Amino acid sequence: MKFFLVSLSILILSGFMVLSLGHFKKLCHGIFLVSLTAASSLVLISSFFALRTSFQGDFLLPWSVPLGQFRMGLDPLSAFFLITIACVVLAAGFYGCGYLRGHGEKKNIGVHYFFYLFLTLSLFLVVAARNAVLFLAAWELMTVFAYFLITYSDEKKSVRQAGYLYLTANHCGVFCLLAMFMMMGNFAGSMDFNQMAAAHYTPTFLAVFFILGLMGFGVKAGFFPIHIWLPHAHPAAPSHISAVLSGVVLKMGIYGILRMISMIDVPQWGGPLVLFIGAVSGVLGVLYALGQHEIKKLLAYHSIENIGIIALGIGMGLIGKAYHNNLISIIGYAGALLHVFNHAVFKGLLFLSAGSVIRSTGTGELDQMGGLLKSLPWTGHLFLVGSLSIAGFPLLNGFISEWMIYRSFLEGMIHFGKTGIILSVLSMISLTLIGGLAAVCFAKAFGVVFLGKARSHHEAPVKENSWVMRGPMVILAAICLWVGLSPKTLLLFSLKGVSVMTATDAGQMEMILQPILFVVKTLFLFLSILCLLALFKRLLFRCVPPRYQETWGCGYTLPSPRMQYTASSFADPVLRFFKSLVFFKEYGKSCTDYFPKEVSLLSKVVDGPEHFIFRPLLSILRKFSGKLLKLQSGYIPQYLLYILLAVVALLLWKFPWSS
Amino acid sequence: MIDAIPVLLRFAIGLLFPPFLLGIIAKTKAFFAGRKGPRLLQVCYDILKLTRKGSVYSPTTTWIFRVAPLVFVAAMFVSTLLMPFGALKAPIQFYGDVLLFVGLFALTRFLMVLAALDTGSSFEGMGASREAAFSCLSEIALFLNLTVLVILSKNFSLSTLLGGYTRSSWINAGPSLILVVISFFMILLVENARIPIDDPDTHLELTMIHEVMILDHSGPDLAFILYGACLKLFVLGSFLASLLLPFRFHDDWINAAVFLGAMIGLAVVIGIVESSMARLRLNRVQSFITVAIVLASFALIIVLSRTL
Repeated sequence: MKFFLVSLSILILSGFMVLSLGHFKKLCHGIFLVSLTAASSLVLISSFFALRTSFQGDFLLPWSVPLGQFRMGLDPLSAFFLITIACVVLAAGFYGCGYLRGHGEKKNIGVHYFFYLFLTLSLFLVVAARNAVLFLAAWELMTVFAYFLITYSDEKKSVRQAGYLYLTANHCGVFCLLAMFMMMGNFAGSMDFNQMAAAHYTPTFLAVFFILGLMGFGVKAGFFPIHIWLPHAHPAAPSHISAVLSGVVLKMGIYGILRMISMIDVPQWGGPLVLFIGAVSGVLGVLYALGQHEIKKLLAYHSIENIGIIALGIGMGLIGKAYHNNLISIIGYAGALLHVFNHAVFKGLLFLSAGSVIRSTGTGELDQMGGLLKSLPWTGHLFLVGSLSIAGFPLLNGFISEWMIYRSFLEGMIHFGKTGIILSVLSMISLTLIGGLAAVCFAKAFGVVFLGKARSHHEAPVKENSWVMRGPMVILAAICLWVGLSPKTLLLFSLKGVSVMTATDAGQMEMILQPILFVVKTLFLFLSILCLLALFKRLLFRCVPPRYQETWGCGYTLPSPRMQYTASSFADPVLRFFKSLVFFKEYGKSCTDYFPKEVSLLSKVVDGPEHFIFRPLLSILRKFSGKLLKLQSGYIPQYLLYILLAVVALLLWKFPWSS
Repeated sequence: MIDAIPVLLRFAIGLLFPPFLLGIIAKTKAFFAGRKGPRLLQVCYDILKLTRKGSVYSPTTTWIFRVAPLVFVAAMFVSTLLMPFGALKAPIQFYGDVLLFVGLFALTRFLMVLAALDTGSSFEGMGASREAAFSCLSEIALFLNLTVLVILSKNFSLSTLLGGYTRSSWINAGPSLILVVISFFMILLVENARIPIDDPDTHLELTMIHEVMILDHSGPDLAFILYGACLKLFVLGSFLASLLLPFRFHDDWINAAVFLGAMIGLAVVIGIVESSMARLRLNRVQSFITVAIVLASFALIIVLSRTL
């Protein structure tokens, strides 16, 4: 806890320092990196300590806010999230230094760093807060600081719009949270989390809290259909900010949900509801991602998908509790928690490498790239590691957490009653579908961007970026591999984190750990067989060395790179199959004549909720508020008249005749 | 070292038998066409011949193109280690190996798709796109079938789902297991690119999927892919055979013989299907896989209504 407090004060101090020293660029970079490293490593140390000893640190400060106490604590759940935050923030911060160098010449870099450091501070505070007022304050700070980071390139209109959308959506979410915490505080008689957890609520109110919490935290997390800010904000933000947004800021929604679960008894239907939300977010998120042609937008939709996977784990945890099966509950929650960490790492990696691609080529359009693995070998291979992780393939971390979540479903099929079995089966089917579609989507993303031939000619040769940008990506990729091949440490941590929601004991931990260690052993066997085969092939090549020849053009004598399969054509068969789920539009004509003239075809996937729910809703709202606008004439005597009318109304209301 | 003989026996079967399966299928097809057909060992000769030739690589390709065939063979080999051969036990078995099995399949598919995109040829891109689309559907059918078995056997290790343990399941839930067998057979045809989904014998048709993807592979790489394909057919076939053999003998040699007999029978059935059917039109393939999914769902519904 001491370390944690020191790190908070470092962040505050250095934040103001970079703000005031914004014009000395070198100094600014230095202070930023040193303080970020110091703060993150202190937080890492304190959270490792908290996870090792299950020590529940508590810190109380006098605070003059009504109902509020400046109470902070570090339990294993907070510690797990702190580790996640520290890893991503540190990597993205270093990357950001390289990313902005030369890019933001005209901008005051100090301001950006100030917001970055304070976003980190508010993230730490959100996770450590033990009082609803402090929590909401930190939550709001997080939203606002993230807004300033997203709108870095605020000279572009699209960026400003995305920022507004982000702010509006998240404030709608905060209303739900405010209502929830106020009602809970009213019941408990205090805004402290531990007193809220101890209070007794009526079932109706529990249901209301749960729904409000899901909505409020769900907006931040990006549950379908309230995800609409996500695909706009991620592409608008600079890449390292997208990594932080997707890796950490979204996860605060998940943290909030888990914290809420640990405080109140979730109603019986809560588990199925969360499972349903998870399945819908997952499947539709990945389907929308398949239809995207812009790399960061594609990744943004994948965040929705992964939040869906996490929600599936949480849902299984809740159902396990409803069925009084502690083991399944633990496996579900632990899978979800581990996926939180894994997603933060591999999505951070993917966004950073996508940013590197965009920096090098100057575009984010998939169909204008191609063959970049040769000119950007580091970025390309790191992106491959990220793709393999996110699609949940063995050897990498995504597989481990998805394995846990799958296992919770399979356990559910064995131990639950009829409804539970049906729920587990349906969730498993959706997770399978998500996994399959994610594999297709990343085959598309990686294949189109990095493999084959370049689809368009760049004026300048594409060059790899500086080491400041590559280093953090390498570290994130290393974490992906480490968790994939030696998952024990983090699994233990996630199991510790689960202990906040449900009690775990050593025997159960062993039961959960054992099979996954076997998985890893078998994977090592797989790797050694692979090495043997590679040696064998090398031996064969020693006898007859390979030759090199252009790819066969299928009899066509003038093949051009433009003839390669594009992102849209690759995803077309799948999207056609799921036409009823995604809004898939095609513009243009197909060839009909024997000697076709110029033809163009454009396919596009439209975000359903945005276009068919929220936009019409907003236009109705705008029409209505347009009529209200007449009240606000800007004519001062009219305003004075309003005041007079209000006073008269009050007088009438309070007039003695009413009593 | 008590179990040395069955393990060695398994290794012998798992390493040497797979290429025969393709030979048997070819012989069956030849029999129905009234031809003599290639030798039983033809696939082995092909593989050996290919290993002695040098590969030709396109300068467009990267290491992914070269590594994918190796990963394919390695993953299929590990899958044979997880799979019981009828009553012959699997050497590696643990709680949840089903998920690793499926994960390895997915990994190979992903890398093969990438390898196809790596060539930069529009033709191979087409094959890759189709393969990706169909496999993501057939995975659902596979998982549904596994679900039925998990619910029946209350365990999720491949060795307890299948093998000699299925007798009580056959007694309890025969009808749904029959549906599972049919559905799994359909998946097997899809995954191994057999008729009616795909024709492994032709190379230049617009309706082709798997063969298009490996068009630019040559020499040892093609040999690896061919051997990997044999292993894949063998692994999925032994899934089916182990499901259909609900009994075990005390002697491992008899167990092995029964298993081999079942596999040969399966190959003959595939041969008969291939010689009696034409390839489906491409847009019908999705319906074919959907039928497999629907059959598996029916099996699941029956199991749920019976056992609960």
